[in-house]
Amino acid sequence: MADAPNEKKALEPGAAPTLAADEVESAFELLAEMTSGFAESQDLEATLERALTSVAEHLDAEAGSLWLLDTEREELHCRASVGPNPITGLRLPMTQGIIGRSIAQNTCQCVFDVSKDPAFSTKADDESGMVTRSLLCAPMSFSDERIGAIELINQRSGDGHFHQRHVYPLQVLASSAALAIANNRMAASLVEAERTRRELELAAEIQRNLLPAARPDPFPVQGLNIPARTVSGDFFDLVSLADGRIGFCLGDVSGKGINAAMLMAKTASLYRCLAKTVPSPGELLRQLNDEICETATRGMFVTMAAGVYDPTTGAVRLANAGHEPPVCHAQGGFSVFEAGAPPLGIVPGVEIPEAELDLNGGSLYIFSDGLTEAETQSGDPLGRAGFEALLSKFCDLPLAGRVEAIVDSVSQLALKDDLTLLAVSDEARSR
Amino acid sequence: MEHTVREERGNVVVSLKGDVDLEHSPKAREVLLGCVGGGQDVFVDLSAVSYIDSSGVASLVEAFQASKQKGTRFALVAVNAAALRVLELARLDKVFTIHESLSEGIGGGA
Repeated sequence: MADAPNEKKALEPGAAPTLAADEVESAFELLAEMTSGFAESQDLEATLERALTSVAEHLDAEAGSLWLLDTEREELHCRASVGPNPITGLRLPMTQGIIGRSIAQNTCQCVFDVSKDPAFSTKADDESGMVTRSLLCAPMSFSDERIGAIELINQRSGDGHFHQRHVYPLQVLASSAALAIANNRMAASLVEAERTRRELELAAEIQRNLLPAARPDPFPVQGLNIPARTVSGDFFDLVSLADGRIGFCLGDVSGKGINAAMLMAKTASLYRCLAKTVPSPGELLRQLNDEICETATRGMFVTMAAGVYDPTTGAVRLANAGHEPPVCHAQGGFSVFEAGAPPLGIVPGVEIPEAELDLNGGSLYIFSDGLTEAETQSGDPLGRAGFEALLSKFCDLPLAGRVEAIVDSVSQLALKDDLTLLAVSDEARSR
Repeated sequence: MEHTVREERGNVVVSLKGDVDLEHSPKAREVLLGCVGGGQDVFVDLSAVSYIDSSGVASLVEAFQASKQKGTRFALVAVNAAALRVLELARLDKVFTIHESLSEGIGGGA
């Protein structure tokens, strides 16, 4: 920062930093013209070129160029130019020349005679065929972000050189151009964010349709899924089998976001496809595992519990691949069924054991860890004990209402993950 | 999450510390895959991991699968109680080789 004023003094001794009244008026007119141009136009590049033309005319420059920083390629990219031989499209290393210095120091450069400035680069002259004698350059920045710079070459009138009083009109253009470019970029990123949001909404809609349609009480299997984000890595499903039994499952894909949602969609579709023909839940999970292993990426896996409930006997056959242990609530007591095999998608060819349990007039609850990991007001996770307390509290409600009441209660807490609860009730048989 | 990587008797020892969750698991993944990619046996010290979620486990799974393809050893050592509970509940103790200590892990493979 300290160099610029000294340099300016050395280049133009006795320069008056003030403008004459007519120059001030003229600068205001220029500012008004450019600002309204930036505000009205949708086509930023055309507006920048018009503004550059105006300022070049105003300062009677032979040529002018507007450069944007391409930080990825560490280059300056000429996006607009005026003069006898336009150089739009030219690229320079971002630290090169007086323009590079202007951006690095974030200060205007008024170089009376470029032949005396060792930083001067002839690359643009080589391209345009011009001979630069004097140069005026103003950086464009917005907040802390450096955007680029505007450069004018050679005055046509007077002594053919730029003076300190020429700096201000160029600064005016650079500031309003920087604001317009920043606005334009922000608008573009908002459009992109909106497009992504709409696509996620579509993905979420497809996901919701992968879940089974709600069946009102007294249907003995009920479930609910609340995604932590737009899309979910959890799912559940239920299938009425030809022999009157009901197949059900709940899965939780590792991680969150669109990749988890896509693996969820694949797993849910495979389940729906296999469940009607593979009545054994252990065999079904074994086949699912082998399928998912074939295409698994990035270490992603699915924890999943699947079972078959027989409404005539109250018997459930249950298989658990790495999933949070389901809880059985019967006759006031709780029991859990820990996983017998690792999650799906990690090791192919794994046998997945089945457990046989008698619901005995009680209910079985399968849930994702989003439920037990939901944070209570004290900052502790709800945990198994908190979940069992909710089961006791709402156990007199009909099943669909009970599942809703439990999920509602947990939703009041701080959810850290997707939340899914599936309940299988044998209570109708006991009445 | 913090991590350190060091060599010990020709093996690479990666120590993870803190939360290996959705925010930090991309870093864990990068570090672990980088180590496995070097072609040496890798031991991951989980003694100072306070919390690991499914995305963190997935980064361990991916590194484990990469080491299997390379034919090198990949083991978890000194897994603390909280992380071990997560791995055992998901039956991932059947997938990963888990040693009580680093010396047991390195010595066992000699």
